Amino acid sequence: MVILRQLSKVYSRGEAKVAALRDVNLEVKPGEFCAFVGPSGCGKSTLLNLVAGLDLPTSGEIVLDGRSTGNLTGYEWTKIRRETIGIVFQAFHLVHGLTAEENIALPLMLRGENGRGTAQRVEDMLDRVGMSHRRKHRPAELSGGEQQRIAIARALAHGPRLLLADEPTGNIDSHQGAGIMSLIRELAISGGQTVLLVTHSVAAAQTADYVWTMRDGQLVSRTERMTELVTP
Amino acid sequence: MPAFLRVLLLLLMSHVRQWPLRTVLTIVGVALGVSASVAVRTANIDVLRSFEQAVMTVAGPTTLEVSGGETGLDEQVITRIRTIAGVTSASPMILQTAVRMKGGQADQAVQVVGLDLLAELNTRGFRLSQPTTENQLLGMIQPRAVFLGAKLAAEWNLSVDDELDLLIGTGRLTCRVAGILHNESDRTSSWERMAVMDIAAAQITFQMVGKVDRIDLVTDENMAVEDVAQDLRIVLPPYLTVERPANRARQVEQMVRAFRLNLTVLSWVGLLVGMFLIYNTMAFAVAQRRREIGIYRAVGMTQSRVAVLFLMEAGLFGGLGGIVGSAAGVALAQELVTLLSRTISDLYVPVGAGEGGLFRTGRFWSMMVEGIAIGCVVSMIGAVGPSVDASRTATVRALAPGDYEASRQLRTGMLAGMGVSLLVITGILSLPGPIGEVPVSGYTATLSLLAGLACLAPICVTGWSRRRRYVGRDGGVQGVMRGIAVEHASRSPGRNGVTVSALMVGLAIMIGVLVMVRSFRHTVELWVTDTVLADLVVAPSMWLRGTEIGGAGRSLPPTWLKVLSSIPDVAAVDSYRDVRIEVNGQRVAVVSRDLRLHAQWSRYLVRQGDSSEQLRRAAETRGLLVSEVLANRLGVEEGSTLEVMTPSGSVKFPIVAVFYDYSTDGGKLLMDRALYQSLWHDDLVTVFPVYVSPGSSLDRVREMITEQLSGATGGGVPPLVISNTELRKEILDIFDRTFLLTYVLEAIAVVIAMLGIVNTLVTSVLERRREFATLRAIGGSAEQIRQLVLWEAAYLGVIGITLGLIGGGLLSLLLIKVINKQSFGWTIQMIIPIGALIQAVVLAAIATLVAGYFPARWAARQPIIDGLREE
Repeated sequence: MVILRQLSKVYSRGEAKVAALRDVNLEVKPGEFCAFVGPSGCGKSTLLNLVAGLDLPTSGEIVLDGRSTGNLTGYEWTKIRRETIGIVFQAFHLVHGLTAEENIALPLMLRGENGRGTAQRVEDMLDRVGMSHRRKHRPAELSGGEQQRIAIARALAHGPRLLLADEPTGNIDSHQGAGIMSLIRELAISGGQTVLLVTHSVAAAQTADYVWTMRDGQLVSRTERMTELVTP
Repeated sequence: MPAFLRVLLLLLMSHVRQWPLRTVLTIVGVALGVSASVAVRTANIDVLRSFEQAVMTVAGPTTLEVSGGETGLDEQVITRIRTIAGVTSASPMILQTAVRMKGGQADQAVQVVGLDLLAELNTRGFRLSQPTTENQLLGMIQPRAVFLGAKLAAEWNLSVDDELDLLIGTGRLTCRVAGILHNESDRTSSWERMAVMDIAAAQITFQMVGKVDRIDLVTDENMAVEDVAQDLRIVLPPYLTVERPANRARQVEQMVRAFRLNLTVLSWVGLLVGMFLIYNTMAFAVAQRRREIGIYRAVGMTQSRVAVLFLMEAGLFGGLGGIVGSAAGVALAQELVTLLSRTISDLYVPVGAGEGGLFRTGRFWSMMVEGIAIGCVVSMIGAVGPSVDASRTATVRALAPGDYEASRQLRTGMLAGMGVSLLVITGILSLPGPIGEVPVSGYTATLSLLAGLACLAPICVTGWSRRRRYVGRDGGVQGVMRGIAVEHASRSPGRNGVTVSALMVGLAIMIGVLVMVRSFRHTVELWVTDTVLADLVVAPSMWLRGTEIGGAGRSLPPTWLKVLSSIPDVAAVDSYRDVRIEVNGQRVAVVSRDLRLHAQWSRYLVRQGDSSEQLRRAAETRGLLVSEVLANRLGVEEGSTLEVMTPSGSVKFPIVAVFYDYSTDGGKLLMDRALYQSLWHDDLVTVFPVYVSPGSSLDRVREMITEQLSGATGGGVPPLVISNTELRKEILDIFDRTFLLTYVLEAIAVVIAMLGIVNTLVTSVLERRREFATLRAIGGSAEQIRQLVLWEAAYLGVIGITLGLIGGGLLSLLLIKVINKQSFGWTIQMIIPIGALIQAVVLAAIATLVAGYFPARWAARQPIIDGLREE
């Protein structure tokens, strides 16, 4: 599903150059749930941003669903995100002025879908994340955990094959965090989605099939089914 | 520098560095508002000062003037004046205008002053460049000798002994430049732009033998000038006026007061709209810096200091805008002066275009200071609301994570209630009459109307989007984008309400003035069509220069009546005389013509009854027809009497009818020519209206008139023979020139309103970077982000334009029925110029979208990753 070949990303800050990712090679197969852990600044979020096309690599190649993304235009990346990718953010990033159901419908509406099918799909997603009773509420009226549930529903509403989750439990307490992670796991399995998860949390990483540990922009070790992982 | 000021500058600079575009937009907005205000004020002052200066320069040491109005006075009067105790000297004077006929500046007018040169050579403040030997002194008083002001001679490229062709009345005069005039002192004076002739030569040249325009007196220093004036009034005929020279300037100032006031008020619109812009900028600054304010409060800054901080920041923006705006305004004023002086000359009295001596007189700096002060004050008033809001920031909430604004609710309902109340107050304020001829309540009603609509803006912003359901509604992706845009716009009723208000004010004034001007033009067109019925008008060649030319240039010999009547196919010829006199302190035009003939061939738009009948009745009863404007000013009506001072003494005239007239706002009296001649002893004619027999060729008759009259002028310049169509066009051209300035001022207000929209959208885009990045991350394209911002602009535009249309309609009613009526006294028939309104709305809509385009493009180009990082 996701293949990274010699992927590097260098940021320029004035005269200085900072390598966020260095020659990363990786293959994540369809349906796999892969987590990335590592200290702050090790390149986890950068990796996710590059896979989502939110940022462009300095060198190397990203292959998504068998298609090389090297020469894609901005609009082609937009189409990929619309059809193939769903993203969950640490800060939820819900649109403040819209209700929970409107936020969930947003990716579908951006694709031009807004008929009865959309309403049904939103209904279904609200039900699956257990938020049907809060459908008319705006983000400011929801708790952090509830907001993240809506964000997950939004990320999965258009049926993406790849779910990218960047610290989804970073802004909520551990109790709600556990619920969020099991929800992601459950929905991903039932939907057959490939999941790339970036996290600091050992508990969150334990939901993944395997975990890559990153340091200084590189993948340093892979651990299967997190039992013996030590927090870096 | 005090510590607090240092803190202020530090914080201000950090804000400017953070938001340079907004800072520039705000300063430009204030600068535009200030420039319009300063330009109109400077031009107003310059034009009147130029008139005053011309009056005072020519007056020299004169302490009193004796004048007979436009018809002049008998020169013999001077003998009686000299017998009065306290009169040290009495000098006759002629003041007329001539036009250069050939050369580089052909068609340029010059004021010609006729003086007793031998007696007054060194008394009037000018000197001649020639040595004054006896022979040259004799040369000075030769009939064709003219002395040119140094500046005029330089501009016209003439020197001593050159020939100069002048058009004077219907005659052409080839003069010799006998010398050059210089100001005696360095201070600004008008002599260098005038021409001087000896009084005797001037009397011949201007066909005023035995007559003078004025007699200038110097009175004994040891006697009170007013006492001497009183003695003179007892001795002299009552129709002659005795006044101080400065009075004339004051009278003119009084005459054009309503015109200037309306112009000045219009120039403030830009400042008013600029105030909304400042409000918006400062409200945004407060919202953006809420956490920062929390920190100031936490480290010990008092509430009042926080308010002062923001007020001073606004003041500094205003000051910078004031500097730029004043400089631009003074530059713009140089252009306006020409336009304004021409309009005042067209409508009131001849005034020069000034000399632009701003720098010399030090007024440049006073205007700069004034502009800066206006910028500061307006900005600080605009910033009062946000500054108070900043000072009331709850420290704990500001420092806590989360959205401070979300916990605050704008009381849109309460504001809407205030808005409705203000609209009711507007209605009440439109009822009282003027105070001292100034429509004070009318102007207050205008402010109340605009404030009322501004209070309604926030509820319109929120109201239209409430309770909409987007999910499951068909409408495609555009419908969704529209929905999100509207949703977002309605989330900030305060800020967006202010933007909508700025657009509303700009557009309302644009539409209000547009409807008023179009209605006025329509009324004038109807009036012209109904009353200007003569097929041809024979007029002095300079007649179309309006009041600029003086009495002599505006008269024709009465003998032409016979010549014109004898031309085949001429069915009737009227003799129309138009002179200015004073009635109860008002400058009034006395029009005399053959009323019976006019009743037969043409008409006046009388308020009551039939025109022909009223005209005949006036002729039979030696009565008057009075213009509506004058009737209102003097408080007279049909059936009452009016006392007028004539050269034959005071006469009480019955008022037979009141008629609508739009040729002057000074008012008009109409009487039969025979009556006028018997009272004024003036048989000159201003123009001859000619009625052509039905079926004859107008062009042929015109040719014959020109041919016949060329002979009658004895080789002079043939008179103008204007067709009815040309005359109507000329009247409407003057009308259009009068309102040209209005359009310039309106355009400035609309541009500021547009800056307001750019400002709001830039703010909105800056605030929503994260939201846009999120939308991009979940599948939104750059194009969709652009559309989102443009839809938001369109939403605000639709509300602003709708309110602007409502406001404009109500404002036009106020302008037509209250302000204009009270300022000038004209009845205007209101029309709705649909085409022009559509143009104005389309223009505003396009401007709104253009204002939205750049922020939209910027928003679409922002890197997604940067937006997602924003906290």
